[in-house]
Amino acid sequence: MLAYLGRRLLWSLFTVWAVVTLTFFIYNVLPEDPARVIAGPQARPADVARIRTQLGLDQPVHVRYGRYMSNLVRPPPETKDDAVWKLGPVRIDLGVSYLKRKPVTQLLAKALPPTLLVGFLALVIEVAIGAAAGVLAAMKRHGVLDYGTVGLTLVGISAPTFLTGLLLQHFFARELKLFPLDGYGQTSAEQLHSAFLPALTLGLYGAAYYTRLVRDEMITLLKEDYIRTARAKGQREWLVIVRHALRNALMPLVTVVGLSMGGLVGGAIVTEKIFRWPGIGSLSVDAIVERDGPVIMGVVILFSTVVVAANFLVDLSYAVLDPRIRKR
Amino acid sequence: MLDPRAFRRFQKNRGAVFGAGLVVLLVLFAVIGPMVSGHDPNLSDFTGGRDPSGSIAGPGGRHLLGVDPLLRDSFSRLAHGARISLLVAFFATTLSIVVGAAVGLASGYAEGTRAQSLDTVLMRAVDVGLSFPYLLLVMAIGAAVGETTIVTILMVLGLTSWFGTARIIRSKTIQVRHLDFIMASRALGQSTPAILLRHILPNVAGPLIVIASASVAQMIIAESVLSYLQVGLPPPTATWGRMLLEGQRFYTVAPRLVLAPGVLIFLAVLGFNLLGEGLRDALDPHED
Repeated sequence: MLAYLGRRLLWSLFTVWAVVTLTFFIYNVLPEDPARVIAGPQARPADVARIRTQLGLDQPVHVRYGRYMSNLVRPPPETKDDAVWKLGPVRIDLGVSYLKRKPVTQLLAKALPPTLLVGFLALVIEVAIGAAAGVLAAMKRHGVLDYGTVGLTLVGISAPTFLTGLLLQHFFARELKLFPLDGYGQTSAEQLHSAFLPALTLGLYGAAYYTRLVRDEMITLLKEDYIRTARAKGQREWLVIVRHALRNALMPLVTVVGLSMGGLVGGAIVTEKIFRWPGIGSLSVDAIVERDGPVIMGVVILFSTVVVAANFLVDLSYAVLDPRIRKR
Repeated sequence: MLDPRAFRRFQKNRGAVFGAGLVVLLVLFAVIGPMVSGHDPNLSDFTGGRDPSGSIAGPGGRHLLGVDPLLRDSFSRLAHGARISLLVAFFATTLSIVVGAAVGLASGYAEGTRAQSLDTVLMRAVDVGLSFPYLLLVMAIGAAVGETTIVTILMVLGLTSWFGTARIIRSKTIQVRHLDFIMASRALGQSTPAILLRHILPNVAGPLIVIASASVAQMIIAESVLSYLQVGLPPPTATWGRMLLEGQRFYTVAPRLVLAPGVLIFLAVLGFNLLGEGLRDALDPHED
């Protein structure tokens, strides 16, 4: 068990390292001069050269890579404490944004809460709608409700988030004026209020996937012997569903929640753009448009760590929940 | 390779037939649309582009679906957008399927043999690939390459999306590999590439076709997302995502500018998703 976990942890670390390295090289060997971007199109060549030296961009790419990686876990002593993340003895330093002139860790820390707020609300919406609709459809198999639900999930999966987002924004914010059009808000109440529409946009998309999974899982499970036993005991149908079937249906769904992290990331970029939400998605779009290398690297490191950690936790939960894997 | 019964099952599935119909209509729109529109998609019509009150011409009359705020013919732009969407989606999917199938076949065939290390390396690469924030990577490459063309977009999309395919094909290959006829052809001295191509590939073709259809839908969304975020094809090229973005500011006065590209993206994705599900049910019937 411990050996298995240790191996998985090592592979997770390796995966993050590989992602970071690949991103660094992809970004740095492409024909793009950050110094030129910072200095502006009108800058004199001497200024561009000076900025290039300042940022160390005149060094060969492997030297820059070595410096980036060593700074990452061992920041130079002159780095201020508020510019790094402390994880126990390790200090994570992601460098300084070219354009915003602020430590990347600070930018990420500022953008993270809004994204987490929307992501969490979206997950709640996704699981609530998905579980309810999936169970109902599975119970009324081949009925109008079932076909209706399956049809709706197809619509949900096919509707791009920017279309649903714009329509929700138009209907609920512009017409009904129930929610703010976009932006973040000052107080927590305002923030929660304005988080609802972006969360609904993401949540509806996720709910469509989730509903189908719950439905398929429930259909398989409802054929099991122990369900028949429970029914034969004369247990009420909803108790059979909730206590015996749904509980078991939830286990594979752990995986999906873990895996959907990646999907949420992609959806978040678009949703945050529509609702002008100051989260990680907006930060990364800005960084890419502005060619802000350190910020792009920071976002990639953050995202891949989250995805890898989520996968690791999913495996871990399986190992804990499923005795067959524990033995390996 | 394909069972005639599968075709009959497909025909009986109303959703699948509807999806196939949508796809056919879309292809027709992309092929014929630009020819029959009679307007250049990037040319502003200063004489006929305004209605008598001076605002941009709505649907009907000289421009079938009206013009956009730059007085360009909407129908023509939508049809050109369909061309780009389908071209990118089709070629990116082909690329992704070819790479994914090759890696999956090699990895699945090597699994548990002397060439186990090949399987390990390939699957670790897939793990890494699946941990990439894929949209972000696509955007970063797209932005850094500078001049974005159809080719760069479809290369980037195709080369960053084969990881899932490789995993599925690998597990199918492992299932097929132990069947008797594979053993027989190996005993007869057939070479490994021949076995892979002639015997295993046809047996994993079903899942591949299904993945391809779903992948086209994903690629259509991905291309429009890139355009919507302004890291796709640069203007004035007409793409659905870009049209949606440009129409957004005019939503209150001319909702059609957002709805037309939005609904087209939706229908295209729906069509390929329905087609994919129909193919899955037809090729891989599960007993109820």
